[in-house]
Amino acid sequence: MLQAIFTAFFGLAAIWFAVVVFRTHSMVRSALALLFSQAAIGGMFLAMQTEFLGVLQIMMMATEMAIMTIFMVMYMMDPGGLGAMEMTHQKRASQVAGALGALAALAVAFFTSWGPITPEVRPAQQVHDLGIEIMERSMLIFETAGVTILTVMVAATAIAIMRRDEE
Amino acid sequence: MSAALTVLMLFAGAYLVAVLEGWASTGKLRPVGPISSALALLGRESVVPRQPDRIFFEVAPPLLLVAALLAAAVLPLSPGLIVTDLATGALFVNAALAYVMVALLMAGWGPDGAYAMVGGFRFLGQLIAYSMLIVMPITAVTMRAESLFTTEVVESQAALPNAVYQPVGFVAFFVAAMAVAFLPPLDLPTAPGELAGGVMAEYTGWRLAVMRLSRVVLVVTLAAAVSVFYLGGWLGPALPPWAWSAIKTLLVAVAMLLVGRYVPRLRETHVLEWGWKIGIPLALFNIFYVGVLLLVV
Repeated sequence: MLQAIFTAFFGLAAIWFAVVVFRTHSMVRSALALLFSQAAIGGMFLAMQTEFLGVLQIMMMATEMAIMTIFMVMYMMDPGGLGAMEMTHQKRASQVAGALGALAALAVAFFTSWGPITPEVRPAQQVHDLGIEIMERSMLIFETAGVTILTVMVAATAIAIMRRDEE
Repeated sequence: MSAALTVLMLFAGAYLVAVLEGWASTGKLRPVGPISSALALLGRESVVPRQPDRIFFEVAPPLLLVAALLAAAVLPLSPGLIVTDLATGALFVNAALAYVMVALLMAGWGPDGAYAMVGGFRFLGQLIAYSMLIVMPITAVTMRAESLFTTEVVESQAALPNAVYQPVGFVAFFVAAMAVAFLPPLDLPTAPGELAGGVMAEYTGWRLAVMRLSRVVLVVTLAAAVSVFYLGGWLGPALPPWAWSAIKTLLVAVAMLLVGRYVPRLRETHVLEWGWKIGIPLALFNIFYVGVLLLVV
């Protein structure tokens, strides 16, 4: 019961902060609202006893969204939102997409057979199993993704340096 | 029970560290210094700057305190004395410390002041330079413990503390911990004299008191983290476990403050350059070195 209450609380917090992302005019507020929306999802993971996933989500989102803040402040003409810039666009399309998405989520929730509830796995066992999974079956996927991202980072840095030399 | 005791120990440690910080910056040891300056701050008016981002301005000081307290919650004082012994404790320390940066970003942006904003974004700009030196040394520490439980990390050091077993990681983590707590040679977000207080420049009265308290608690938390991950936490002869934790934590805090007393503030470009070009390769080498030690020796 307590678990359900906390899951619902963090879920509602995630939705509320997601709404704030579009309600505000300030880029920094928008980015940090997204941060707290994602951190609330991390809180949901914790409430649902997937400890590693929750802690990882809370940690990664803090750094990622903060880095996004600095880029939004650098590139937007009105980062503080004093010009009351509109944060939404394509309103009709997004309303339709939002309604369809909500219906699909409800349909999945009510019409899918969820099967028997799996027995609770101890957090330490979850960490162990995740490690085995990453180091065995999914190793190639993770390594490929990691090397690809590293390549992109090095390439982007190289491009930035070369452009500066031409000026 | 253990939560209350931990908080009590944390604030007692914060008081001692505040006295020591006063000594490190002025050269005078004044045991009542923190009380008198806290009373002075609480008595003063807390001015709100013009056109602030009010939410960030108000949330930043408590968020800094919450981040420090959450990180302290997974650090054990003695075998039974830990607020919550998470299966992902070592990772949770990182997660909580990430919100120090978020709090400083808010404190920098919130008050609508140039110095504060430079300080906040400066701390964010250094993020990779210091946070990698927190994460990677902890990785090597947990490799040796074969567990993310902070209590098992301490127990893994029964034969030899990690400071001796992996000295490179110890040095990297120690320096990075000083950067997270923005202690003197690395106090770039506040930088008195250069940024006139930076992220703390626009805070006055009780808000500044909360901010300073959070910062001192953060110093204690990070000193406790160094003690748990590298100095064997509660392990030691003769004295009770909690006393060893307290002694080691205080000694680490004193060492941090002493470095700040004798080393001048680093330039931001140097912090970034040394963090990226020396620190990260050394931390990667440390992981490799510990891996070789674990598999071969």
